[in-house]
Amino acid sequence: MSNLATAHMLRPSGAFSSAAPAIDPEIDSDLELDLAGVSAPDGSPDSDSRRRRAPWIQIAPSRSQRRARPKIAYAIVVVTGVLAIVITQLLLSVGLSDGAYEIASLQQQQRELDRTNQTLTERFDALSSPQNLATSAETLGMVAGGTPAYLRLSDGAVLGTPSPAAGSAVSGGQLIPNSLLTPAAATATADGASTASADPAAATPSAPTVPAQSTDVPWQGALPSPTTH
Amino acid sequence: MTAPQGAAIDRRIRRRTAVAVLAVVAVVAVFIVRLVSIQVVQADTLNAESFDKLSNQVAIDGLRGDIVDNDGTVLATTVLRYDITASPKSVSDIERTAADGTETTVTPQQAAAEIATILGTSSDEIYGLLTADPTSNFAYVARNVDVDTFRAIRDLGIWWLYYSSNQQRSYPNGAVAGSVVGFMDDEGEGVAGVEQIENTCLTGKDGVETSELSGDGVAIPGTTETTVEAEQGGTVVLTLDSDLQWFSQQALLARIQETGADWGTVVVQEVKTGKLLAVADYPSVDPNDVDATADADRGSIAFQAPFEPGSTFKALTAASVLDAGAATVATQVEAPYIYTDANGASTRDSSYHDGPLRLTFAGVMQESSNTGTAMLGELLSSEQRYDYIEKFHMTSPSEVGFPAESGGILSPWDEWDDQTNMTTTFGQGISTTAIQIASLYQTLGNGGVRLPVQLVEGCQAADGTMTEVPDATGEQIVPSTVSTDVVNMLETVVTGGYAKTSLEIPGYRVAAKTGTAQMSDGSGAYGSSYITSVAGLAPAEDPQYVVSVTIAKPVTIESALAAAPVFQEIMSQVLKENRVLPSTVPGPDLQTTY
Repeated sequence: MSNLATAHMLRPSGAFSSAAPAIDPEIDSDLELDLAGVSAPDGSPDSDSRRRRAPWIQIAPSRSQRRARPKIAYAIVVVTGVLAIVITQLLLSVGLSDGAYEIASLQQQQRELDRTNQTLTERFDALSSPQNLATSAETLGMVAGGTPAYLRLSDGAVLGTPSPAAGSAVSGGQLIPNSLLTPAAATATADGASTASADPAAATPSAPTVPAQSTDVPWQGALPSPTTH
Repeated sequence: MTAPQGAAIDRRIRRRTAVAVLAVVAVVAVFIVRLVSIQVVQADTLNAESFDKLSNQVAIDGLRGDIVDNDGTVLATTVLRYDITASPKSVSDIERTAADGTETTVTPQQAAAEIATILGTSSDEIYGLLTADPTSNFAYVARNVDVDTFRAIRDLGIWWLYYSSNQQRSYPNGAVAGSVVGFMDDEGEGVAGVEQIENTCLTGKDGVETSELSGDGVAIPGTTETTVEAEQGGTVVLTLDSDLQWFSQQALLARIQETGADWGTVVVQEVKTGKLLAVADYPSVDPNDVDATADADRGSIAFQAPFEPGSTFKALTAASVLDAGAATVATQVEAPYIYTDANGASTRDSSYHDGPLRLTFAGVMQESSNTGTAMLGELLSSEQRYDYIEKFHMTSPSEVGFPAESGGILSPWDEWDDQTNMTTTFGQGISTTAIQIASLYQTLGNGGVRLPVQLVEGCQAADGTMTEVPDATGEQIVPSTVSTDVVNMLETVVTGGYAKTSLEIPGYRVAAKTGTAQMSDGSGAYGSSYITSVAGLAPAEDPQYVVSVTIAKPVTIESALAAAPVFQEIMSQVLKENRVLPSTVPGPDLQTTY
C-alpha cells in the first residue's frame, strides 16, 4: 500500500455504486465495508432505524490501522491466561495443602509402624537370647552335643571319636538372668509344656540321651539333596 | 445566581476539597508511617514473635548406637519408652462416641479405672495422681511404659492425657556379657564397661526440625526446615561371641553353685588375633536391672580384680628360664617336699612326698612342684625374672582400657623380700588379672608373639565404615622355640597330671596348667581359702584358643579340680563351635621323671 495515511472514502455500495467512481483500485476484495445502510435493503423496520442513525459516510480504517487496533483475540488470550494461572494456582495450593495433610498422616503412620517395628524387634532380640533358646531347646527334649567327630571327604578318614550326646553342665535351668525374658519365657514354657506332655521322654531331662535316640521323627517330604550340575 | 454568590460557593467547594484532600493525605500518611514501622522498623521482632507462635520445633532423636557381638547379635540397643502425664486442672468427663453413634460419658473415676487396668495398678492410685493437686497442670501417670501400654492408653482417647517418648537402653541378652557391656546412669551416660569405654562412639546427636503449623497442627508446605542435622550414634562391634559368652557364664555358674564357690571368671581368647571371645564373670550384672545387683558386683572381675594366680603362672617362669638359657625341658631337678633356698626362704609342695621327686623341667610342670619351680626359677636373678614378668605385660593393664582395669600388683624386684623372691616363681606374691593370665597363654600359644588384647573390633558408622580399630601389632616376647617348649611341657599336665581326666578332650591335644593359689586374708597373711584355676590352649600342636578359668573359694573341692571341668567343657565348646579339626599328630610325650 502506497499511502498509509489515506483514509479511503467509500460509499455504500448498492444503488449508487454505478454513480461513484472506484477511488482506490487497491481496495482488496476482502476489505470489509461498512454496509450499515444497505445491508438490509429489504426495508425491514430494523434496517430503517439503522438507516436513520447510521452516518451516511464513515471513515474506513486502513488495513494497517485495523491491525494496530487491539483485537478481541488478545483480550481473550490474556483473560484466559490470567484465569488459567489463577485456577492453576488455586489447584496447586489445594494440592499442596492436600499433600501436607497426606504427609502428616503418612508420617503418623510411619511413626506407628516404627513403633510396631520396635516392639517386634525387641521381642525378637529377647527371644533369640541364648537363655531363651537354651530353655526352649531343653523343653523340647534336646541335649547339648558332645565332642563332634569329622569325616574327611578326601580320604574318608574319621577324625575324632564319635560319641552320643550326653548333655552337659550348661543344661538344666537358666542361671544367667535376663529380666527382659520374664514374659517371653512364660510363653516359651507354655509352648514347651504342651510339647513335653505329648512326649513323655522329653519330660525327664535327667535322662537326656533317651529322647534323641528312642523317638524317631518321621521325615516329611523329599529327602534333602544338593543340586549338582 | 449572582456572580459573587457563585464565587463564594466556588471558594467553599475548593476549600472543602482542599480539606478533604488534606484529610486523605493525612490518613494515608499515618498509614504509611504505620506500614513502614511494621514492615521495616519492627519487622524482625514481629517476625520472630509470630514465628514463635506459629512454628513448631521437633527434636529428631539422634539415637545412641547399638553394641553388637562379632556376628551382629545385639547386646545393647536403644528403645523408646513413653511417659504418660496428665493435666489435673483439665481432668473432667470425657464424651465417647461409639461406632454405632451412641454417646457415653466417662467420669474421671472410670477413666482412672481404665488406665489402672492397663497399667496393672489400682484405680485409686491413678485417681489419686490425677486429683492430688487440682490446680496443677502436670502430673505423671506412668513413666517409661512400653509401646503396647502406651498405645492401649492412648486409644482410650482421654484428652487430658499427654505423651512423650524418651530413649531407654535395653539389653536383649540380659546378663550375657552384662559385666563387659556395662550400663548407663540416669543421665544417659555410659558408666560401666563398653558403654563407658565407647561412650563417644555410641552417643548420637539430637537434631532439630522446624516447621510452621496451621491451625489444626499440620505443617504448612514448604516451611519444614532441618535446622540441626541429627546424628545417629555409631555401632560398637565387640569381639565377643554371645553364644560362647552365655555358655561360659552358664558353665561357670553351674560349677560355682556345685562347689559352693564365691566368685569366678572365664576368659576365652583367640590365640592368632588376641581377640577376646568370652569374658564371663560371676557375680555379674543384668544391665536391664542394675539395682538388682549389689554395687560391688557390677563390674568385671576379669578386668578389674587382680588375684594371686598361683601355679598357672609357672608357665611364665618356665618361659623365662628357657629363654634365658638357664635350663631346657629335660633339665633334671631333685624336688624335695620342703625347699629352703640360699636366702633362707622356704616353700613346700602341695602334697607330701617322702623323698625328693626326680623330675625333669617338664615333670616339674606336670607335678606342679613348687619346690622344683622355685629351684629352677632361682636360676635367674630377681631382676631378670622381674624383667620377664614386665615383658609379658603382667604389670600393666591390657590394651582394652576397661574402666578401672587393673594392671596387676607386683612390687619392683629390688623391693622383694626373700620370700617374695621365691614365691613369685610360682605365682604367689604377685597379683594379676584373669585377662593378663589369658594374654600370657596367648603369647605362649602364638609362637611367643603377644598380641594386644582386643575387646572392641571398632566403631561402625551407619554407612558401614569402621573407625577406632585397635592396633593389632604383635610383639615377640620370647622366641617360638621357647614358647613351643613351654606348650609341650604344659601338654604333659593334661596327659599325666593329677587333673588329667578332668582336662582331657577326646580327639584333641590340650596344653593346660592348673593352679591352686592360697588367697590373702586381707591382712598380709594367707587365709584358709583358695583360688583354683586352669589356663590352657588347644589344639596343642597349633594353638587356636586360650581358655582361662578361675573359681575362688570353692568349698567342696579345694583344688584345681574345681575349675578343670569348666575348662574342659568350655574348651570343647570353643573347638566345636569353631569347627577345629581333631588333632592328628601325636604329642611329643616329654619325659617327666628320670
